[in-house]
Amino acid sequence: MKRMIFAWTALAVLAAPAAAAPVVGQPAPNFKLADTKGKPVTLSDYRGKTVVLEWNNPECPFVKKHYSSGNMQKAQAAAAKDGVVWLTINSGAPGKQGHLNGGQAKSFVAKAGARPTAYLLDPRGVVGKVYDAKTTPHMYIVNKAGTLVYAGGIDDKPTPNPADVTGARNHVLAALSELKAGKAVSVATSRPYGCSVKYSDS
Amino acid sequence: MKSIVPTPWHAVVAWLAALFLAVPGNAQLPQPGKNAIAASLVAETSVVRPGETVTLALVMKPEKGWHGYWKNPGDSGIETQIAWELPAGLSAGPIQYPVPDQLIVAGLMNYVYKDDYAQLIDVEVPAAVAPGTRLPIRARVDYLACTDEICVPETVNVAVELAAGSAPAAQANRTLFDRFRQALPKPLGSEARFERASDRFRLAIPVPAGLELREPYFYPLTDGALAYAAGQTFSRAGDTLIVETDAPANAGSLPTVEGVLKLSDGNGLSLKAVPGVVPAAGAPLEHVAEQPAFDASAVLAALVGALVGGLLLNIMPCVFPILSLKALSLAKAGGDEGAAKREALAYTAGAVLVCLALGAALLALRAGGVAAGWAFQLQDPRVILILLLLTAAIALNLAGLFELPALAAGDRLAAQGGVGGALWTGALAAFVATPCTGPFMGAALGAALVLPTAVALAVFAGLGLGLALPFLLLGFVPALRRRLPKPGPWMARFRRLLSLPMFLTSLALAWILGRQAGVNGMALGLASAVLVGLALWWVGRRQERGGGWLPLAPAALAAVAAVMLVPTVASAPAQASAQGLLKSEPFTEARLDALQQEQRPVFVYFTADWCVTCKVNEKGALERKAVADAFAESQVAVLVGDWTRGDAAIGRFLEKHGRSGVPLYLYYAPGKPVEVLPQVLTPSRLVSMVS
Repeated sequence: MKRMIFAWTALAVLAAPAAAAPVVGQPAPNFKLADTKGKPVTLSDYRGKTVVLEWNNPECPFVKKHYSSGNMQKAQAAAAKDGVVWLTINSGAPGKQGHLNGGQAKSFVAKAGARPTAYLLDPRGVVGKVYDAKTTPHMYIVNKAGTLVYAGGIDDKPTPNPADVTGARNHVLAALSELKAGKAVSVATSRPYGCSVKYSDS
Repeated sequence: MKSIVPTPWHAVVAWLAALFLAVPGNAQLPQPGKNAIAASLVAETSVVRPGETVTLALVMKPEKGWHGYWKNPGDSGIETQIAWELPAGLSAGPIQYPVPDQLIVAGLMNYVYKDDYAQLIDVEVPAAVAPGTRLPIRARVDYLACTDEICVPETVNVAVELAAGSAPAAQANRTLFDRFRQALPKPLGSEARFERASDRFRLAIPVPAGLELREPYFYPLTDGALAYAAGQTFSRAGDTLIVETDAPANAGSLPTVEGVLKLSDGNGLSLKAVPGVVPAAGAPLEHVAEQPAFDASAVLAALVGALVGGLLLNIMPCVFPILSLKALSLAKAGGDEGAAKREALAYTAGAVLVCLALGAALLALRAGGVAAGWAFQLQDPRVILILLLLTAAIALNLAGLFELPALAAGDRLAAQGGVGGALWTGALAAFVATPCTGPFMGAALGAALVLPTAVALAVFAGLGLGLALPFLLLGFVPALRRRLPKPGPWMARFRRLLSLPMFLTSLALAWILGRQAGVNGMALGLASAVLVGLALWWVGRRQERGGGWLPLAPAALAAVAAVMLVPTVASAPAQASAQGLLKSEPFTEARLDALQQEQRPVFVYFTADWCVTCKVNEKGALERKAVADAFAESQVAVLVGDWTRGDAAIGRFLEKHGRSGVPLYLYYAPGKPVEVLPQVLTPSRLVSMVS
C-alpha cells in the first residue's frame, strides 16, 4: 500500500500526462527525484538551462562501454563547461541488476570520475516510464525553454565494444553544439541501444 | 480402507502440482571462458563448385534461461555482427534470421530466440576459383546474450574449412539445413500496405480468407514503425489481414515497413508494406497477441479440454471395447473393494503414463524442430502398420479367435492380483486411442504444443486421466458398478459384437496406410495382418488343447519384416490443391522425371495456403472447365507442390528456378525446354499452352 501511495504521489508531481511517451518538440515532462543524498531535484528548477538526461545502469555492458572508455565522462565535462545541466537517472528496481542506493550511487560517481550535475534515483521507474526510457544508456536533451529536443541513443555505433567509441557520431555532443550555436538539432531522434532498463515487475 | 486410498491420489495431485510449479531456476552467470550462447559455424557442404553458392549456418545454442536477439531486437538488445575473413573473391550475404519469439520483460518488448536457432549466410564462390583451392572461412561474431535480468556481450571466433571442387558435392548436412531453412520466414510475394493515423499503426496484409491463423504476430524489421510492447489486434476483411497497434512516439514518416508475420509456431512470412489505404477493421480474430498466452485460465481450459477429450475417447470404437472388457472383468471379480480400487488405479496409471510418454516424445520432437501434430506417430507408415496389426489382433481376440492372458480370468497376468493386467490395459487403451484423438483433441493438443513443457505434459496427463475416469469411477463407486449389466452368456455375444468397431478401426488404419505408403504399402500391411490372423487362429486352436504362443513367432517376425519394408516416404496429398476439376498429384522431382520419361506433357505448379495470388490463379484459371478439358485432351499430367509449411525439397526446386517463393508455374512439353509461365494466369493462356 505504501508503495502504491508513493507511486501515485510521484505521478501527481508530474506535469505532463503520464500515458504518452514524450515527443520531441513538445514540452519535456517535469519530474522530481531524490539525488544520492536524498535531496529532491526538480527538472523545472533548471528552466533557462539546457538539460541532458542520461539513463544509467552501471553494470550494463553498454553503459560500461561508455564509462570505461571515458566517453561519457568526457561528454559530461564538456557539457559542464558550457553550463549544461547533466542529470544521470537510475531506474533500476531494487533487487535488479544495476540498482543503486544513495551511498552506492555516490561511490559509483566517484569511482568512475563521472561529472553529472546530479545522480538521481528512480527505483520505482516512474520517471523512466514517463520518458519511455527503454535502454541504458538512453539519452534526452531538454532545451532552455523546457522543450524536449533530442531523444535516443548516445551515438550511432550500437555495439558494446569500447573500441567503437572512436569514429562514432556522438548524437548528444552534436546536438549540444548545435544548440549552443543557436541551430536546430539536426538528428533529433535516434534508436537507443543497450540493455533494457531494469524496471520493477509490478 | 479409507486411510489407504487417498495416498495414491495425493501422490498424483502432488505430482501434477509439481509439474505446474516446475519453473526454471534462475540462470546463473556463464562460467568464465564459456559463453551463455554457444555459437558455431557449419557449412551445408564442404566442397563448393566455383560459381556456386554455399550456405553457412551460424548455429546458436543458448543455455537455459538465456536468449539471443533477432535482427530487430525490439526495445533493447542488438543484432548479431559478423566480421568475415574470407579468401579473395568470396563474398558473404546478409544474415538470414529464423522467425523469432516475443519476450516482454518489465514492460519492454524483446524479439528473441530462447531455444537453439540457426542464422544462415550465403557465401558466393566466384567462378574463377580453381578447383582444389582450399577456402578457409573465418569470422568474428559479436552478439548479445541476455536473461530476463542481465545481458552479456559475447564474442566468438568461428571457422570452417571449404574447398573448391569440380564435382557436385555430397550434401552432408542437407537434412540439418532443410530444418534450418524451414525456420526462416517465407517471402509473401504480395505487397502489404500500411498507414498511420492518430497514433495508431495499421497494416493490411494480403492473405487468403481461408488461411488458418493460430497466433499471429507482426514482427517489424523497420524500426520506428510501431510500438513494440503494445498489443496487436488482428482482424480480417476478405483476403486481407488487418493488424492494428500503437505507433511509437517520435514517429517519422517511413517509405516502407518490412517485417515478418508469424502465422503459427515457427511458420512466418516476410513481407514489405508501402504507404496506402488500410481498410476498416473487419471480423476480429480472437487473438490479442500481447504476449505468449500463458495465463491460468488458458491452462485450465486446455486441461479441462484434455479431460473431456479423454472422456470422449471412451466411447470411441477403438477404445470402448477395451473399457467394456475391463468393466466386465470387474463385474466378474465380485465384491472385493480393495482389488477393484487397486485395479482402477493401475488402469489409470497405465493410461496416464502412456499419454505422458506420447506427450514427452511429441515435446522432444517439437524441441527437435520437427513439425509434428498430435498424431505425429500416424505420419509414419510404420507406426500405422503396427497399429493396424494391433487392432486386427484385438478384433480377432474380441471375435473369439483366441484368448489374451491379460484379459482372460485365471491366466498368469491376471493372477498378479489384476494390477499388472489393469496397468497394461490402461496403457493399451491410451496407445490404441491415439488414432481417435485428432478430431476431438485438436484444440487442447494444439494448446499443449504452444504451452510450456510442464503445462503441456500436464495436458497430456489430463488426457490420460480423462480416458481412465470412467473405469476409475467404476472402481471407486460400487453403486455404479452395480448398475453394470450382470455377467452372463450375453457377455460373450457382446464381446463378439465389440469386435466390429475394432475391425472398422483396422479398416481405417489400412486406408491411412494406403494413403501414406501407396497401394503396395497397404497390400503389405494387409498381408501381414492376414498372416498374424492366421497365426493367432493357430494359437487359439492350440489354446483349446492347452498349447502356447509359439506359432505367433514366425508371424511376428514377418510383421517386423513388413514394418521394415513398408515405404516410409509418406506422400501426403497436397493440401493446397483444389479438389476440383483438374486432376493432380503431389509434386516430387522423381515423379516429374518419370512423367517426362513417359513423354507426357507436365504442368507443375507450386502453391501455399497463405498465398493469395496462388488462390486467385487456382480459382480464376486452373479450376476452369475449359482448362481441365484442354489438359485432359492433351493428356497433361499435373503436379502440385504445396509450400505452405516451407517443404525443403520444394524450396530447393523453387530456388533452382530462380524463385524464392510461390507461385511458380512450369510447363514441360516433351522434347522442349521448360516454359515458365507468368505469375498471373488466364484460362486462355493455359489452353493455348497445351494445344
